[in-house]
Amino acid sequence: MVKMANKKTRGPDKTQANTSDIVVKKLDDATDIVRQPPVFTNDSKYICIASGRQIGIYSVESAEKVHSLEEHTFDVIGLAIKDDNILLSCDASGETIEWNINNGTTLKKAPLVVAGIKEFHSFHYPGNGKVLVATPSTYTTNMSSLWIVDSHTRPRKLFADIKSTPHSIAFGCNQGNGSLVVVALQDHSVVVKDITNGVDKKHMTDQRKFTCVALHSEKLIMATGDISGRILIWHDFVHKSRPVKTVYHWHTLPVNSVCFSSEGEYLYSGGSEKVMVKWRLGMSRKQFLPRMGSSIKYIVNAPDNICVATSHSDNAIRFIDSTNKINRAIIGLVKHDPIRGFADTEPIKESVMPTGLVFDPRSHGIFFNAQAGFLQLFDPQKNSLIFNMDVANRNVLTDERNLVIGNAEVLRVAVSPTGEWLATLEVWSNMSAGYHDMNLKFWRYDAVQANYELNTDVTMPHQDRVTALCFQPGLLGTEMPCLVSIGRDLKFKIWRLVDDTDIYRQKESWSCDVAGDFRKLTPSALSFSEDGSLMAIAFQDTVTLWDPTSINLNTTLSHTLVQEPIELMEFGRDNCFRYLVCASKSALYAWDVISQGLVWKVGQLHSSVRCLVPDPKSCYMAAVLQNSEVFVFSPSSSKPVHSVPKMNSSEPIAALFVPRPNPLASGPEWLINSRLLIVDDQQEFLCVDDVSSAGFNQKLTTPISHMDSLPWTPFSAMKAEKQISAAKQLVPVVHQTSGIQGYKSVQSLLETSASALPPMSRICSLFMSDLMIKHGPKAVTAKVNSVDRTSTDLPLSNGHIDSKTQDFSEETTLQKLLTLDCQWLVETVK
Amino acid sequence: MASFKKTQIRSLPKIGQKVTADTLYWRKLNFPVTVKEFGPIDYIDVMPIEPYFIAVSSAAKVQIYNPITHQVHRHFTRFKEAAYGASIRSDGKLVIAGCDEGHVKLFDIGSKSLLRIFKGHKGPVHRCKFTTDNVHVVSFSDDKSVALWDLPSETEIIKFSEHSDYVRAGCVSSISSDLFLSGSFDHTVKLYDARSPTGSTISVDHGSPVESVLMYPSNSIFVSVGGTELRVWDMLAGGRLLARVSQHHKTITCLHLASDGKRLVTGGLDRHAKIYDVQSYQVVHTLDFPSPVLSLGITPDDFTVVAGMANGLISMQHRQTQAEARALNPKQSLKVQKKSQTAYRFRLNADFRSVNRTFNPATDVEVATKTDTNFVSRYDMFLRKFQYSKALDTVLTPYIRKKKPAITVGVMHELIRRNGLKSALAGRDDSSLSSILTFLARNINDPSHANIIIQVANTLLEIYESSSLTPQSEKLFLQLQEHVNREVEYVKHLMEIEGMLHILLASTTTQARRSSTYVVQGSPVKPMLPSASAAANATMIFNVG
Repeated sequence: MVKMANKKTRGPDKTQANTSDIVVKKLDDATDIVRQPPVFTNDSKYICIASGRQIGIYSVESAEKVHSLEEHTFDVIGLAIKDDNILLSCDASGETIEWNINNGTTLKKAPLVVAGIKEFHSFHYPGNGKVLVATPSTYTTNMSSLWIVDSHTRPRKLFADIKSTPHSIAFGCNQGNGSLVVVALQDHSVVVKDITNGVDKKHMTDQRKFTCVALHSEKLIMATGDISGRILIWHDFVHKSRPVKTVYHWHTLPVNSVCFSSEGEYLYSGGSEKVMVKWRLGMSRKQFLPRMGSSIKYIVNAPDNICVATSHSDNAIRFIDSTNKINRAIIGLVKHDPIRGFADTEPIKESVMPTGLVFDPRSHGIFFNAQAGFLQLFDPQKNSLIFNMDVANRNVLTDERNLVIGNAEVLRVAVSPTGEWLATLEVWSNMSAGYHDMNLKFWRYDAVQANYELNTDVTMPHQDRVTALCFQPGLLGTEMPCLVSIGRDLKFKIWRLVDDTDIYRQKESWSCDVAGDFRKLTPSALSFSEDGSLMAIAFQDTVTLWDPTSINLNTTLSHTLVQEPIELMEFGRDNCFRYLVCASKSALYAWDVISQGLVWKVGQLHSSVRCLVPDPKSCYMAAVLQNSEVFVFSPSSSKPVHSVPKMNSSEPIAALFVPRPNPLASGPEWLINSRLLIVDDQQEFLCVDDVSSAGFNQKLTTPISHMDSLPWTPFSAMKAEKQISAAKQLVPVVHQTSGIQGYKSVQSLLETSASALPPMSRICSLFMSDLMIKHGPKAVTAKVNSVDRTSTDLPLSNGHIDSKTQDFSEETTLQKLLTLDCQWLVETVK
Repeated sequence: MASFKKTQIRSLPKIGQKVTADTLYWRKLNFPVTVKEFGPIDYIDVMPIEPYFIAVSSAAKVQIYNPITHQVHRHFTRFKEAAYGASIRSDGKLVIAGCDEGHVKLFDIGSKSLLRIFKGHKGPVHRCKFTTDNVHVVSFSDDKSVALWDLPSETEIIKFSEHSDYVRAGCVSSISSDLFLSGSFDHTVKLYDARSPTGSTISVDHGSPVESVLMYPSNSIFVSVGGTELRVWDMLAGGRLLARVSQHHKTITCLHLASDGKRLVTGGLDRHAKIYDVQSYQVVHTLDFPSPVLSLGITPDDFTVVAGMANGLISMQHRQTQAEARALNPKQSLKVQKKSQTAYRFRLNADFRSVNRTFNPATDVEVATKTDTNFVSRYDMFLRKFQYSKALDTVLTPYIRKKKPAITVGVMHELIRRNGLKSALAGRDDSSLSSILTFLARNINDPSHANIIIQVANTLLEIYESSSLTPQSEKLFLQLQEHVNREVEYVKHLMEIEGMLHILLASTTTQARRSSTYVVQGSPVKPMLPSASAAANATMIFNVG
């Protein structure tokens, strides 16, 4: 029988670190870029995008970031172009900053003073020093009041109780006398105010709620969208009390955004159908741009009328050219739309980020959910997205008006210890039809192509929801990899790679090796010991230990003190390899798998444990509670090394220890080699880190030349267009998309058995010529413009020689030498 | 803009013989032309250069056939008794043959004259070969000796008498003129080097009388056959056994290389010729013959396969030419033709339009071939336009319904996903309803599609349960019910068998590991189990009829 053990701590000595140095920071670069509509500059060359407290200025031509403006201490609520080169921004505390767009410097800072109000919802700048700001409404929540602020007069309240979204306020000018017209949306009505003439109007239609409004900047026409998908164009709405309206109705879902082209000829509209509709006003013609990937939040038209930018809910801004094609995109970290249709008993993690954070040892990135059916890899060192991968490969379906249509969602992800294999589980379910699909897909990383290739697709791997997937760690290179899955159909299954090669093709595929169960109990958690020699599966309150190779049950661990079903379970790492930490609803405890005893138990936690993550580089482990408390402890003892109090109101979803590229010089032991990342239910990244490490505040992006933004001067003419440096550039092997010189022929020579080879004299010349550098006319040009690397082969030398002609001639002689060399060789062989 | 993704059609791997590239290749051999000789065909040799004449030795004569016309081109009859092992020189001008009286005779193919007689063997000579330098001849004789002869002087250079039984197999190296192999009925294969007259350099034991030997073009490996076994030996490692293959169930008599040295062919007394891959020694194809195969010949271009049999038949098979294939299968060839006819689009070159000069059709017309990559099937087109009924109609045509049910099921699956199945099934007339019902009845037993078919059937019943039906549709609904009942019955039987198996397995596992307290279910025996899906069939409720 298992006994409660009162053992000495076996783990490392707990050095009492100065814990005040440890802080929780928000990763700023990973915030969304689509919360506020972007703004084009007057020359349409740049686009300004607010993301959290930052403002990014991007080039429209290349979609690259030119400047990053960071002065605000609160989230930016509005951007406007004041003059040709001046950007005006305002944050939630009312501080406005004027920036120089060309060099990114701050010109002026000023606070907005509106009747002592400290919080602002949105910010608009109609011009002439007048500013429109929305503030929280005094009586009703979620509503705003609109104020006009002028430099010489007192702030004036225009409307009360209007909607607070940035798209419910619009302004334009009256053609007659150029006075400012402001319109705003209330739930069922549009309120209009002509500032100079003092005209006030309120228009109502029917019971459909308005969602967005747009006003043309010169002509006096207004467009409104509502929740039924109808767009109304209003003419002469300032003076008439029953203005003429035109109805444009294509959308079935609420219209999220409407926008006029600068000439007022066209109207753009978009919504959750993921289709941008381009209406020609006054005619019935319309153009569509379907399958834009994600629902449209905002549409912004460039002043030069050539380009339209759309903000999408997947955190991307796409540029559409005049031929109605997407030609560029600014893509941020994708936020996953929470899955709808789950039962209330499911934890919130299952709908917000079902995959959790999965570390990829190959790229040192993190895998987690992107859009429905997609998976993204995020690099925490550079705070950038590495790629976004389509796992489901299905058309993204949109809802119908009264019908929620679900898409396939990636629910589980596992990466093999070497990073070569990726296992994804995607689920599509239709609760109303009672039918669901499940696919377990195995992807292999192809280093030459630098992408993942689908190897095996298993339909319905389990009959019910799969709870966990885990690769067996610690295998030697010669052993076939192995994946374990547990599901609610009471089974655990072991999947192994099977060599299915025959003489026609080389093929490996995954197949189910063993399916087992244990006393018809539901498996709830799964963990491998660090060396992969022991597999633990938790069945309710019982822990079973298995030998992964033979699938023999070694032991079952259970105790009267721990009766609650286990929710999370992890083996200790490093010198705490023998401890198995389990978390149930209210308790955290550890088993010693060698002596098979309960080592310690911490009961009555403040709230349930949400994540239990081991640090791969040390023996420590972190437990993140639902109320966002964090405890870092060594599995050998119940006393935490460090604890973080409640951070904020948000609820943590997933956590992960991310290894550092360079270990810290000093600090607590668990922070030296890695830091802790936590994702909350808003999908914001929090980082528990040492104060001293500058980690993510450092800018790692390379500066971009500002050539085209500089005014022409005699000095700028002297500056070279291209700069050539003799410094060697590092060629990233991972991103090499095409092969190595002669790779194929060497490969075929090595793979064919010696017996089957034709006589050497026959293949020698062919083989040697394959290895030679081919100098077709194309390759030569590629060498000359060595800046754009279009040549398909590995560049042999990266140091550029000053004179290009010399470079070229030298290479031809080299080529001659090579040819001579080979001919000599061929002859001797013959 | 993301492009429209095609509907995924789930195809399951087919059970049965796999169609590989090799089976397709060797299946293209035409119906054989047969020639009857008087005695068993002892040996067939193919001239290594065009026109690939075939030398056939049988009874007391050597005949040279034209492989295209199947006519005898030359015949040599100057043998008193049986002639053996006629072999043509690599330049195609000379032929040698052994005979029962122990002589080796050299003939000129052009003039039919007997040029040389090599005398010296005391027993019949069954095999003889020209060496690579074309001026020596090696002979393998029943007097247990192997001799090397000089062609111009008609003299014996070396004689090896190491074997203890008849030497009935031999071959020469394709690279060195000094190396040759002999295989004997004393179970050994010996490699000789003419430069070391003391004896054989390698000797290996085959285990049964050796019928034929062969050296690979690379000269690093040789193969011997005898008994029912094929053995592969590594020459560079001093005669290490690399592989033992036993695919025939009677004695293997002959060996040949095909497909430019990538395939090995063996013929045996069991009337089969097996084709092996030379890297893995797996059989990739089998050719059948009406009588025990004694000898094989394959032209270097694989165009003709000649087999000599024990009853004196020579079978010559040609590879199908394209014209023949077209004549045999006009329908398929039409498709191929269509494919090869590309659609052209002509347009004027850009710089011709800008510069005012005379028109030159050779340079100024660009020809663009139509690319077929963006092919969108009709059902995808309708799905794209959200026309669900039409999409379902297109996959219910008799051809797709019967020949490619996976497409129909795939589209139904997509409709379920899009929540459009109800609207696609509703409001159908009698004929289209009957086509759906017959499809469902036919495929509801298929375990790979069952879950989707059941879903569709349930939806169909839900829609049409209250509407009045014609007698014809009613009959079809009853038929569907009949199918389901039968499947339920069948699954019941299967589950009974599964239960029996479980008892057996459980008893064996508990015997094996009495201490353990659990039972791992499943994997060692995988019975055919459409169980879960088919069991769900039972829950279907039929309200009609």
